[in-house]
Amino acid sequence: MMIPASLHRLGDRTLLITWNDGRRSQYDVRDLRLACPCAACVNEWTGERTLRPIQVPETIRPVRIFSVGRYAMGVHWNDGHSTGIFGYDYLRRLDESSNSGVAAAPDAVKP
Amino acid sequence: MSASVTTEHVLNALRHVQDPDLHRDIVALGFVKNLAIDGGAVRFDVELTTPACPAKEDLKRQCVHMVSALPGVTSVEVTMTAQPPRNAAGGARTALLKDVRHIVAVASGKGGVGKSTATANLAIALANTGAKVGVLDADIYGPSMSLMFGIIKAPEINADKKLVPVTSRSLKVVSMAMFDEGEKGVVWRGPMVAQMIQNFVHNVVWGELDYLLIDMPPGTGDVQLTLTQNAPLSGAVIITTPQDVSVLDAKKGLRMFQSVNVPVLGIVENMSYFVCDGCDKKHYIFRRGGGRRVAESLGVPFLGEVPLEPEVAEGGDAGTPIVERRPGSPAATAYKALAGAVASSLSILGAAQAGLMESFDLQWEEVPEP
Repeated sequence: MMIPASLHRLGDRTLLITWNDGRRSQYDVRDLRLACPCAACVNEWTGERTLRPIQVPETIRPVRIFSVGRYAMGVHWNDGHSTGIFGYDYLRRLDESSNSGVAAAPDAVKP
Repeated sequence: MSASVTTEHVLNALRHVQDPDLHRDIVALGFVKNLAIDGGAVRFDVELTTPACPAKEDLKRQCVHMVSALPGVTSVEVTMTAQPPRNAAGGARTALLKDVRHIVAVASGKGGVGKSTATANLAIALANTGAKVGVLDADIYGPSMSLMFGIIKAPEINADKKLVPVTSRSLKVVSMAMFDEGEKGVVWRGPMVAQMIQNFVHNVVWGELDYLLIDMPPGTGDVQLTLTQNAPLSGAVIITTPQDVSVLDAKKGLRMFQSVNVPVLGIVENMSYFVCDGCDKKHYIFRRGGGRRVAESLGVPFLGEVPLEPEVAEGGDAGTPIVERRPGSPAATAYKALAGAVASSLSILGAAQAGLMESFDLQWEEVPEP
């Protein structure tokens, strides 16, 4: 059962999640917006991503992040988008596939 | 001259008393409070994680035993109290649920397995241990909690336009049945149901509760999803009957909770057997052991068997659940054991998950930098 143990912001566009198993995952907020799994960004039937990178400016930022039940994080964005629910499993898969995760060593991330 | 008793002596003695669930001594756990020594008279509180702790009496006896064995002690007075760990899960926006410590869904895959009966009896069994208990009947299409508890009142709306639950015994209850005038039934499409559920979660003044039990409708649909997203569930209890058709659906319900990270506290097998009043033989009417098998195959605890007793149904229909109507009956005994198991697994989960970000709601600027 994946649950964040802590959440941090690195600068103004990177989210750092430390998971309950110790792994640390970093997300560039624009990459996260582009990976939004909601039905407005992904075709529900074909799975094809309908959101294009050109639609998301470099200035994209979360306005608010919040837990959804026990299994996901919701994000409201400064472009008005608010329907994305990022399941913790999905966030882990994003991190593991992009390999941007940092090993669990305590000093692996320099504040 | 008698030896003088010190705080240290008493605490050292109490270090030999272990919480059986958390596997640590009660001093290390910080359970010992308000220790007062007056000559040979020793007084202290033991603050457990839940008023429903099944080991309460046993712990008290051990405390008295350990301390009264100390030289110089003439009397020992132990008060057992409880301060359950706060429910930290999900939805920080649910302000009215902030004083609810644990929200537990009582669910099944299939209908007709006795979910509502189990919810009602579990609620009374927990309340009888001194816990503050609420019951939310989320079965919009087939609400039954009013009948089970014999409630005929409707909830009031307070000055803030929030719903005040109906109090029955010491329980706070909200059910769709309370809004169903003249038994017309609820004929609604999904979005209306989802909205009503959100109302029940966000607009009911539950106040301070140790446990809020949610009687779920059968299946894995709209209501279940809305609740898992809106109510910060601490865990779920799955009810099944022994036969395969029910067990199969119970598995689906269980997987649904697992997929949304809600811990499954365990499986209860209802209507396990019927005890013949002529021969006292247990008759396994709906086959045997289905609940235990599914619990084992999915790696979740098996919380027990509840026998089929006509009086369970009579009690439900009369508004006096069996735990209250005939506390010594086999079914009531099974429900009381279930209450103890639920309470202790919630404390264990609470201790294991302390310090995790189960619930957050932050503006981006508020997210701390390391």
